[in-house]
Amino acid sequence: MESKNLLLKNGIVYSANESGLISKLSDKPLDLRIQDGLIAEVGQDLKPGRDEDLLDLQGLTVLPGFTDLHAHLRDFDQSDLDDFSTSTKAAASGGFTTVVNMANTIPPRDNLNSLMDTLERIRKSACVSVLPVAAVTKGLNGAELTNMIELANAGAVAFSDDGKPIMNMAVLRRALSYVLQADSFIISHSEDSHLSGGGCMNESPASLCFGLAGIPAASEAVAVAREIEVLRLAGGRLHFTHISTAAAVALIRNAKADGLSVTADVTPHHLALRDEDMPPYDSNFKMNPPLRSNDDQQALYAGVMDGTIDAIATDHSPHTAYQKSKEFEHAPVGVMGFETAFPLVYEILVLTKRISFEQLVAMMTIIPVKILKRPVVTIAQGQIANLTIVDLDKQWTFDVRRSPSKSQNTPFHGRKLISKVALTLYKGGIVFQDTDSKLLVSSI
Amino acid sequence: MSSSESLVATEVLQESIWSGRRHLIDTKDLTVDEAHHLIDLAGRYAQGGAAAVPLPAVHRGRAMANVFYENSTRTRSSFEIAGKMLGLNVVNLDVSSSSVAKGESFEDTGRSLVAMGFEVIVQRHSSSGTAHQLVGMIGDKVRIVNAGDGANEHPTQALLDAMTMLQFKKSLEGVKVAIIGDVTHSRVARSNLWLLKRLGADVHFCGPNTLMPSYLNKFANVHLRIEDAIKDADFVMVLRINHERQQSGLIPSIYEYSQIFRVDHARIALAKPDVKVMHPGPMNRDVEITNALANDPQYSVVERQVANGYFIRMAVLYTLFVHT
Repeated sequence: MESKNLLLKNGIVYSANESGLISKLSDKPLDLRIQDGLIAEVGQDLKPGRDEDLLDLQGLTVLPGFTDLHAHLRDFDQSDLDDFSTSTKAAASGGFTTVVNMANTIPPRDNLNSLMDTLERIRKSACVSVLPVAAVTKGLNGAELTNMIELANAGAVAFSDDGKPIMNMAVLRRALSYVLQADSFIISHSEDSHLSGGGCMNESPASLCFGLAGIPAASEAVAVAREIEVLRLAGGRLHFTHISTAAAVALIRNAKADGLSVTADVTPHHLALRDEDMPPYDSNFKMNPPLRSNDDQQALYAGVMDGTIDAIATDHSPHTAYQKSKEFEHAPVGVMGFETAFPLVYEILVLTKRISFEQLVAMMTIIPVKILKRPVVTIAQGQIANLTIVDLDKQWTFDVRRSPSKSQNTPFHGRKLISKVALTLYKGGIVFQDTDSKLLVSSI
Repeated sequence: MSSSESLVATEVLQESIWSGRRHLIDTKDLTVDEAHHLIDLAGRYAQGGAAAVPLPAVHRGRAMANVFYENSTRTRSSFEIAGKMLGLNVVNLDVSSSSVAKGESFEDTGRSLVAMGFEVIVQRHSSSGTAHQLVGMIGDKVRIVNAGDGANEHPTQALLDAMTMLQFKKSLEGVKVAIIGDVTHSRVARSNLWLLKRLGADVHFCGPNTLMPSYLNKFANVHLRIEDAIKDADFVMVLRINHERQQSGLIPSIYEYSQIFRVDHARIALAKPDVKVMHPGPMNRDVEITNALANDPQYSVVERQVANGYFIRMAVLYTLFVHT
């Protein structure tokens, strides 16, 4: 993306402060001068310079670019679903400037060649930062470790067999212990595949009524419980992704109280929807872990509120319309999440006053960055201009047909949302601009 | 001809009872009036044959497709004969040897049948929800009858079972029905549960706990001992146990199943004296029901169920053509 010099006028700016918290820089609107991909100046009443495009934000909210700890950007043999170009455009539409890309691509990212191929494709096609995860085990088979140190040195940001659980706890022990020597960590898809069996939705009164095989909440809970014990044994860092059950939240809360290095994220769709919200056999509501019960959802809120759950992550997973039109039990798992993520959690967590706006911004910016042990980007002179500008008052209806993604599998098509990403800057370049927004652009 | 036309006119009077739905997908949504309409109409077919309530001439000769993605002899034949007796042109699609075997989706198969001019599709599929999904895909163009979808529903089976029960009871209000066997994998059990509850019956279940779906006790009485389920029952419905359940480890052995959960004369003696024993077929004799009980005319109404199935399917097809 060509980086132009920009002057953003009149934004309400939030940034990380010295203590690592998000706070408003000033109650008054500020101007931001963007030059050569960096923030050149932050202040009031900045005067436009030569060759600068001027955008009047008119009081919109300026945030650090969002970081997503969990996405499936496809490409490779699943380029019909999405590729790095289309999927990162979708990410930019959702305000994400950094996306962690899981390793269960086809073929899987489990060796140096596939990692180098990934990095090359990202460099050529991606419009935001993509951080590749490498597999924990070869072929995601849950048995033999990949060359983890080599992969970490070459740019793998974390390790995960996501999409599948590691069922052998001896393998997880080795992985946790070994990956410490690469100063990296494991992202856990926590599931007991035997308990899940052939299940395709939450085991519940609804699964009985639909005649569908259920995935019990215990499938996640027993995996989280034993993985915490293995972490206690092996040391290292473990991040639980897409936590969906009350039991898992309680276990992680206790593990944190015990001082273990555990972190956790939750998806917007698990915060927004319950199993009973699924229209009959609508595979756009099918994902793994599945939508859970009302009690689970309430526990997720509590986990977010007390900090047990650290971050928001989308588990963005494109699938073609044809694949999703199959018999429900045979339709693939996963839903898209980039473009609806912020509006959903803003409504569910902030407008309901469960957490502060600042805390939500932290859960989508500095907290995931810290989990990744990457440098915290603030909005200040000399910092990289990765910025997400949101219109917090905008009321709109999500229309997935307008998505830049090649896929359309979302449970939120037609959903009324409050707040919308208006502009996304990556390294100073405009990677997304909402055509409906009131931003004024003028070249001086 | 004039007498048949007048019969049609009386049928039309009942049209308000039928909601106008073009499809029979499940019993979950069926109203009491709709169920009674179908059962009453089936009763008229049972008494007078197809001529009792003939399909109006405008509908005769229309094409009906039997699309069975899963093997079935009984249900497919029953639908076939029901359609033919009403005057429909019935085609059985052998999907196991057709394009489906080459990977065609069930949506494409359905759309092809619509393009060929079929006006009703009777579908059986091994996956739950496929009838519902097919309605979403092509339901505006064709009538769809669910002949069984996965573990979800088999509505004509439940209707024929209710019809059979109503041949012995004036009403099912408060009538105790014990359903014995593998409920987890049974569409027959689910369709019966929803319909029987709606008709006021008192539904009880027993089987190996490994084959009882979670949360079943939210909808019905679930017993650990078969004797408690059968005690004072008006009807005992025996489900087929699939031998694969042993291979997949859900039951220790077919032998143990037969000893602990088989319905026999000794256990049926705990029920009401006039209890009737039902089975959706095909039976594994001496596994889930003893050969002697299955053959005992005092208790067994299995063949009556089969006959009623044919009349119920005529009533369903008639209604979907005439009352929509």
